[in-house]
Amino acid sequence: MSAAGRYYFRFNLYHRIIHGMVIVSFLGLAITGLPLKYAQTGWGAALSHALGGPFTTGYLHRFFAVITFTYFALHLGYIARLILIRQPGIFWGPDSMVPQPRDMAQLYRHVRYFLGLGPRPRFGRWAYWEKFDYWAVFWGVSIIGASGLLLWFPTFFARYMPGWVFNVAIIVHSDEALLAVGFIFTIHFFNGHLRPEKFPMDPVIFTGRVEEEEFRRDHPEEYEQLRAEGRLEARRADPPPPWMRNFSRVVGFSSLAIGIVLIWLIIMTALR
Amino acid sequence: MFPARVGLSTLLLFGAALLPAGAAGAQAKPAEPKPSAPSAQDCLGCHADKDLERSAPAPGRPTSLFVDAAALKASPHSRLECVGCHATATAPHDSPLPPVRCAACHDKARAALGEGMHGGTKAQARTPAPGCTSCHGTHAVRPAAAMSIDTCATCHAQQVQVYQGSVHGRSRQRGDLDAATCRSCHGAAHAVLGKSDPRSPTYHLSLPRTCAQCHADPELAKRHNIPIANVYQLYMDSIHGRAVSKSGLLVAANCSDCHGTHGIKPHTDPTSRVFPANIPGTCGACHAGVLAAYAQSVHGRALAKGVSTAPVCTDCHTAHQIRRVEGTLWQLDVIRECGSCHVESLRTYRDTFHGKVTALGFARIAKCADCHGAHTILPASDPASSVAPANIVATCRQCHPAATARFAEFHPHADPENKTKFPTLYYSYLVMTTLLIGTFAFFGLHTILWLPRSFVERFRRGRTRGEEDRS
Repeated sequence: MSAAGRYYFRFNLYHRIIHGMVIVSFLGLAITGLPLKYAQTGWGAALSHALGGPFTTGYLHRFFAVITFTYFALHLGYIARLILIRQPGIFWGPDSMVPQPRDMAQLYRHVRYFLGLGPRPRFGRWAYWEKFDYWAVFWGVSIIGASGLLLWFPTFFARYMPGWVFNVAIIVHSDEALLAVGFIFTIHFFNGHLRPEKFPMDPVIFTGRVEEEEFRRDHPEEYEQLRAEGRLEARRADPPPPWMRNFSRVVGFSSLAIGIVLIWLIIMTALR
Repeated sequence: MFPARVGLSTLLLFGAALLPAGAAGAQAKPAEPKPSAPSAQDCLGCHADKDLERSAPAPGRPTSLFVDAAALKASPHSRLECVGCHATATAPHDSPLPPVRCAACHDKARAALGEGMHGGTKAQARTPAPGCTSCHGTHAVRPAAAMSIDTCATCHAQQVQVYQGSVHGRSRQRGDLDAATCRSCHGAAHAVLGKSDPRSPTYHLSLPRTCAQCHADPELAKRHNIPIANVYQLYMDSIHGRAVSKSGLLVAANCSDCHGTHGIKPHTDPTSRVFPANIPGTCGACHAGVLAAYAQSVHGRALAKGVSTAPVCTDCHTAHQIRRVEGTLWQLDVIRECGSCHVESLRTYRDTFHGKVTALGFARIAKCADCHGAHTILPASDPASSVAPANIVATCRQCHPAATARFAEFHPHADPENKTKFPTLYYSYLVMTTLLIGTFAFFGLHTILWLPRSFVERFRRGRTRGEEDRS
């Protein structure tokens, strides 16, 4: 009954491709956007010039924005498909991304667990911080994307709205982007990869596969439910092949490194 | 020991007093007196009379025939006999002697004078014509080193008077031997050339080099508290300097076009051509169109009202280093220059895409002057202003061809921290900042609490299943 070597799917190929697009576009947008936000700093100017100056950087930024709009549309299409095939539990229940009262309860119990006042809560498919990550991206893409589009085509949108909207758009785009970058490169990195249990990284988002022991520990409620309903075997996966592990490490560590360097620069600038 | 031939003439007493002077004269080298030639005593027998005058006036020659023997004795010509210069003189002589030919000895000086302006037909036609004696005197002849500016002043009185009030003249009066005199700029007097002569040191294209004899020396600048030590290099690299030195443009400004010539004064002197309040007029002597526009602008009007901080030409264009206005570096420098007074406007400009791109060193985007104008700059309240409500859309359209009135409602100098002026922005900023701080505060605390627990979890797991993470 050794659990070692037994794997289950947590993310399908579609999920992984979408998250890959998120990584590429997010890092691209951060690298091409931050030099403009921090144009007065030495590193901002150096990075901007390294990327070919603000105009070239602007074109690259829009290129990554197009990737963002693409994955956002693909994801909306994915949800639309789930609705059309009448997949149950999209908007409520244990598999849903929608925040529910039990998430608040689990947050409360999780904090008690942090303080040594109780056992670890039994998380389902999505822990509350994972739902927050999801909605942070959903919200972030909407807000940053909409304000970015306004600033991309100002004369077009000025036909329908007053000019001060662009002043607001500059603030919203810039601050929300700082929030997104700051959140992903610190909180998401810690929750997903850098906390001691996962350190140095959790490859599940690249391999899609989670080992049984880890599955039972991190998502016990989902595991138990699947086993009780006899659906566990349908989620069985082959162990991730070596190329996939290597690919995970290269992409994962590169992304972590880029993010950590950027957030370090931002923090040093803020503290100066 | 009394010499002979006394009593030839009337004034025995005066002559006797001066007699010993004659003894040395016999040894003079240049002109050997003929045995029959009169000695100095012979001449002075008459010419020691202070009242001795010419019977009929001769044009261009002094009326008095008095010879100051003491002055002659003190001059470089002390060893010369009278006949050394007055070769045809006899004692006594009835007819007036012909003019002395200095060139008989000083042939080089005579030749040089012929090449220069003082020997030219125009100058010689004047009365008195500049001859050797006009500057050097006659019997009390002076070498060039012993001459002062007064020598030049005999003819050039007005220029010398102006010079005496200049920074050079005043420095000289204080005993400063570094300060330029006539010869420093005009060269040696014999071959002196007019400023229209290309060989002249004061020729339009040669003047910068002439001034640079002193003003390219950083040590001199240091000694005299001249603020810009490398003024010559700056000028030669400037648009004016290149036009003069590379293109040979006679209409391009050289040193004197801005600083004046004989009357150069320091920029701190209110009568100086380069005193800040006078600079628009000085530059406007050539740039008349710009001056007219500037005078109508908010800056020009402020200057006219006596606002000493109002910017003048040199504040943006610099004095000596004036660069082409198409250059990126200069265009970006001007933004900072505007910001040296308009601090808030520059700060808020830097928050926008326009200001960030220029901060990154690129000029192909709206800079201060692109919206506000440069020389014609006017406040938005002025209907003629490029940023007045009636004109703002046209101004935006220079870069944004599809701009509309609503587009122009964008505030390019918005300050989200200013609640009264920009309430919408203020609250947007407040909401965003609150969201940012709130999120990081919550998850920051969450992470700090989780971290030790996660260590414990890993440690516990490591004890029970040691090899797990290397799978």
